[in-house]
Amino acid sequence: MSIRTSDRTPTTPDVGEGRTGPAVATARGLVKTYGAGDTAVHALAGIDVDFTRGELTAIMGPSGSGKSTLMHCMAGLDTPTSGSVVVDGEDVGRMNQRQLTRLRRTRLGFIFQAFNLVPTLTAAENITLPLDIARRPVDRAQFDAVVDAVGLRDRLNHRPSELSGGQQQRVACARALVSQPAVVFADEPTGNLDSRSAREVLGFLRRSVDELGQTVVMVTHDPTAASYAHRVLFLADGRLVGEITDPTPDAVLGALRSLGADDVRGDHHVEVRTAAVTAGTDL
Amino acid sequence: MGRVALRGIRAHLVRFLLSVLAVTLGVAFVAGTFSLRTMLSSTFSGIIDSAMVGDAYVRGSEPASTGGPNGTQVGEVRTTISTDLARAVDAVPGVRMALPDISGPIVLVGADGTAVTSTQAPSFATALYPQDDTIRISAGRAPHGPGEIAIESATLAASGLRVGDRTTVVVGGALRTVTVVGEVAMGAPMAGATITFVDVATATAAYAPDGQVPTITVLGEPGISERTLVDRISPVVGATAEVVTGDTMRAESRASIETMLGFVTTFLMIFAAISLFVGAFIIANTFTMSVRQRMREFALLRAVGASPVQVFASILTQAAVVGLLGSALGIGAGLGLVSMLRVLFERMGMDLSGSIPLDPSTVVISLVVGTVVSIAAAAIPARRAALTPPVEAMRDDVVVHERSLRVRALLGGVLVVGGLASLAVAVTDAAADGSALIGVAAIGLVVGMLLLAPVIARSVLGVLAAVFVAAVKPLGRLARGNVTRNPRRTASTAGALMIGMALVGAASTLAASTQASTRTVVANEMRADFLIQSATGAVPSGAVAAIDGLASVSHADALSYASALVTTGGATPTSADSTTLVGAPAAAFGRSLEVSTVAGSLDSLRSGDVAVQKTAAKDHGWTVGDVLTFTTDTGVTTATVGAVIDSKALGVPVVVPDSLAARLVPTSKQQVDTVFVTPAPGVTAEQLRADLVGAAKPYVVLSVLDQKDFASQLADQVNQVLVILYALLGLSVVIAILGIVNTLALSVIERTREIGLMRAVGLGRLQLAGIITIESVLTALFGTAVGVTIGVVLASALPTVLADTGLTTLVIPWTQLAWMLVLAAAVGVLAALWPASRAARLPVLDAVAYD
Ligand SMILES: Nc1ncnc2c1ncn2[C@@H]1O[C@H](COP(=O)(O)OP(=O)(O)OP(=O)(O)O)[C@@H](O)[C@H]1O
Ligand SMILES: [Mg+2]
Repeated sequence: MSIRTSDRTPTTPDVGEGRTGPAVATARGLVKTYGAGDTAVHALAGIDVDFTRGELTAIMGPSGSGKSTLMHCMAGLDTPTSGSVVVDGEDVGRMNQRQLTRLRRTRLGFIFQAFNLVPTLTAAENITLPLDIARRPVDRAQFDAVVDAVGLRDRLNHRPSELSGGQQQRVACARALVSQPAVVFADEPTGNLDSRSAREVLGFLRRSVDELGQTVVMVTHDPTAASYAHRVLFLADGRLVGEITDPTPDAVLGALRSLGADDVRGDHHVEVRTAAVTAGTDL
Repeated sequence: MGRVALRGIRAHLVRFLLSVLAVTLGVAFVAGTFSLRTMLSSTFSGIIDSAMVGDAYVRGSEPASTGGPNGTQVGEVRTTISTDLARAVDAVPGVRMALPDISGPIVLVGADGTAVTSTQAPSFATALYPQDDTIRISAGRAPHGPGEIAIESATLAASGLRVGDRTTVVVGGALRTVTVVGEVAMGAPMAGATITFVDVATATAAYAPDGQVPTITVLGEPGISERTLVDRISPVVGATAEVVTGDTMRAESRASIETMLGFVTTFLMIFAAISLFVGAFIIANTFTMSVRQRMREFALLRAVGASPVQVFASILTQAAVVGLLGSALGIGAGLGLVSMLRVLFERMGMDLSGSIPLDPSTVVISLVVGTVVSIAAAAIPARRAALTPPVEAMRDDVVVHERSLRVRALLGGVLVVGGLASLAVAVTDAAADGSALIGVAAIGLVVGMLLLAPVIARSVLGVLAAVFVAAVKPLGRLARGNVTRNPRRTASTAGALMIGMALVGAASTLAASTQASTRTVVANEMRADFLIQSATGAVPSGAVAAIDGLASVSHADALSYASALVTTGGATPTSADSTTLVGAPAAAFGRSLEVSTVAGSLDSLRSGDVAVQKTAAKDHGWTVGDVLTFTTDTGVTTATVGAVIDSKALGVPVVVPDSLAARLVPTSKQQVDTVFVTPAPGVTAEQLRADLVGAAKPYVVLSVLDQKDFASQLADQVNQVLVILYALLGLSVVIAILGIVNTLALSVIERTREIGLMRAVGLGRLQLAGIITIESVLTALFGTAVGVTIGVVLASALPTVLADTGLTTLVIPWTQLAWMLVLAAAVGVLAALWPASRAARLPVLDAVAYD
């Protein structure tokens, strides 16, 4: 196990050093700025990162450090201000809406923190949704492998409202993996779960990497969750500020402390901010 | 709080615009109906005021049945009086002049060689007294002798004739060449009536050869009140006549016109009510959507100290603003509609009152209706917003508790079963009042199905969606999930179409059945090869004679309509005994018409007996051998019932031989409705037709029809009624589109996150638009399928119930109904355009981040 903590000056950490797998997704000089002038927010302030094929990568950092923004830019859900993103050999920045839709449909998988499932569809229908949308045949073997891996065989005909939060997230994992995408992006997939359900989901993600050969990138605030990853990247103020490979919970905690420990409680701020903002929100 | 409410409207302009539009449509109909009514009644008032200028009127004292319909008369029909009375009245001190009103139907041939007519308005000639100073001749002079006429200004303009021109008229059944010598200004628009003036001798010869007239107009000396005039005249007119003031006469005429307009108004108001009902639903939907989205805002307001009442009031304020705005626009739109209608009427030759009236009561009623409807519609969502505890609203998911459908299911079920039961009784029990039962069934089925719709929505939509689920994977399945997710909402959205389509389903089934039945009747009962009818409803006697005289005609049997007070057993006749009669030559049966006899024999008509219709016999208890008493102007006549018949073609209670008809009704008042023609031996159909057309041509208004022409002419009449119905259906389609747009917009906003999710996992924009379009189409199909089913079920009972009136065959117009479904699908696609493109434009990230 090695811990390298860079200082906070703009650097290009030699991410992925010591591992041999090729990068399935790459970002170079990624900048995302919201607003302009004095009020400009640099959500991403120049990021170079490679996500290795066949690995589970965790991304950590204080609230507002740009984790979600990075995921969205990598997945073509958001357009970077500058810099390039290449996923599975294709330049995401050059794609039009149609191509982006096809990219998401065929090469990418998504798991959000909540609201992952279409409420009118059964678990099985939710799992095959991306394939149905793409009008691709469902690979039965893959479907069975994924369903068995998440342990949902007896829940396949249930609607999301009849499933627990953990089960719903596992369905979401199954959906993300059934089409065998090049890479799965998961933004706080266990954020709403108790520790037992979180363990199920994380265990499954790790197994999908180890046994099914998937690539998973996951944002988390939880050091235990991060410890399931092959590698943990640390973000602060829109920059990559550190990295641990083969982490343990303690090592992650240690790394967070050395990066400015008080931010670990970031979750709390998030909730407050959300409530305040949404109180006045409507279309 | 008021400021919060107004800001709210400004922030959600588009959505509130839909609500405003909904109110506007409904109110436009209300305001339009009222002002149309006011316009029509002021037009007719104008006609009455300028055409009935007498200070007093002398008329018959008894109600009576005169021969045939008389276009110039409104109100109760009375016995006629002798023109001689005029001389006696004239002698009364204070009377300036007493003028018998002599008028009757005329056919005026215009400059283009066709008859001057306009839809529904009468065409008549009236006697022009040289001494009558109430009539202003604006050009030329008054007519003298049978060869001259004067024409009312608007009629003159419509005819294309000018003073000095020669033309043809048909007066008293005879063709006559005349010169137009004058133009008469009436001082008010005459609603398209064709009005011609002839001199007194001509009018008397044509319309009052027996010296009997319906009324005598009395003009008083200046300074004598109408009342005094009446009091002075009354003693001289005797028992058979009575005298009323000019005001009474005008008020009576106005009242009978108001009654007529009342029917029109009621009919239109039903549609106004439907559109307001659907409008209310759109408003309720809009506010539900806005309230749901702003739960947190309300919670915040509550948290900083606003009371539930304040929250409630702030939402209702918004509703009131929407209602007022919509009503104001609606009044404008209503007036616009009426002006368009007026232009349309003018094109058809119907002059209506010049100004479009906007009386204060129309404005007030429209504003109140629009505002109350929107406030009432917003009340339920407003209450929900006000009562939600702040804590619950602050939570992430605002749980909307769906009320159970049990009560609706129960109530709707009871109503539908009740409706079906009364339908079953109407069909099976011959003794029951079928029409009333069907009315009950209609209300039960429509209201019941509206209530039941959310309950059956899931299964019906499941069936309808099967095609889409199979054909467009996975969009069909997703769309089905969305429309069945909130069946209550889908069902209410489909409500407008349901009502409209129920109407259309019933009407088109009824129309198809009527047309088929007519064909059957014509084929079964018409023996003659040709028949001749007139566009004015009366075949001139000259034409009848001309046809009868043709060498190629073996028989020409004329059927004339008349009416009389028919009683039995010496009962005193009242106006309720007024019965329509058909007079026909006894020999017509068997050669022109094939009529089936239930009892007795039609041969008895040769000896002066009469035949009664099976239904009338049942109603009045008439049997063969009974003696009927006929009371008309000309006196009292009796005749024996010689046969009970069952004829759909002769859809009247009593058939009399023409010898009796001539005694009941003066020849001048007889109106020949149809002439049946049988060819002489060896004459071909083409030859006969050519001869008949030649004989009929000079009379301009006659048409020569064979059996097929006749059936299809009747079918065309049915179709014309359908067109009006379809125009009104158009309105319910527009409202249905608004409703669907509104609901889809609501559900797109509600599902923003779900849409974002699906987009994130690869759903394309077109696919998303496809899902929303399928939802829309399914909603429209649901409303249409249920509505058409209700309509067809109701209409199917009619042939059994109304078999006696000639509706014998049930025909369900499947092709037409299929087109209704196609129309519904088109409506669905149209309604989905805006919401679908809106959903497709949602940025994926916004959707994902939406909360
Ligand atoms: N649409 C936006 N407009 C303006 N600023 C934004 C927008 N989205 C994100 N930001 C800002 O960009 C920064 C990074 O946000 P991001 O959501 O990536 O943070 P995060 O690391 O995911 O935080 P969290 O742990 O709270 O999810 C924040 O400062 C945020 O305020
Ligand atoms: Mg985030």
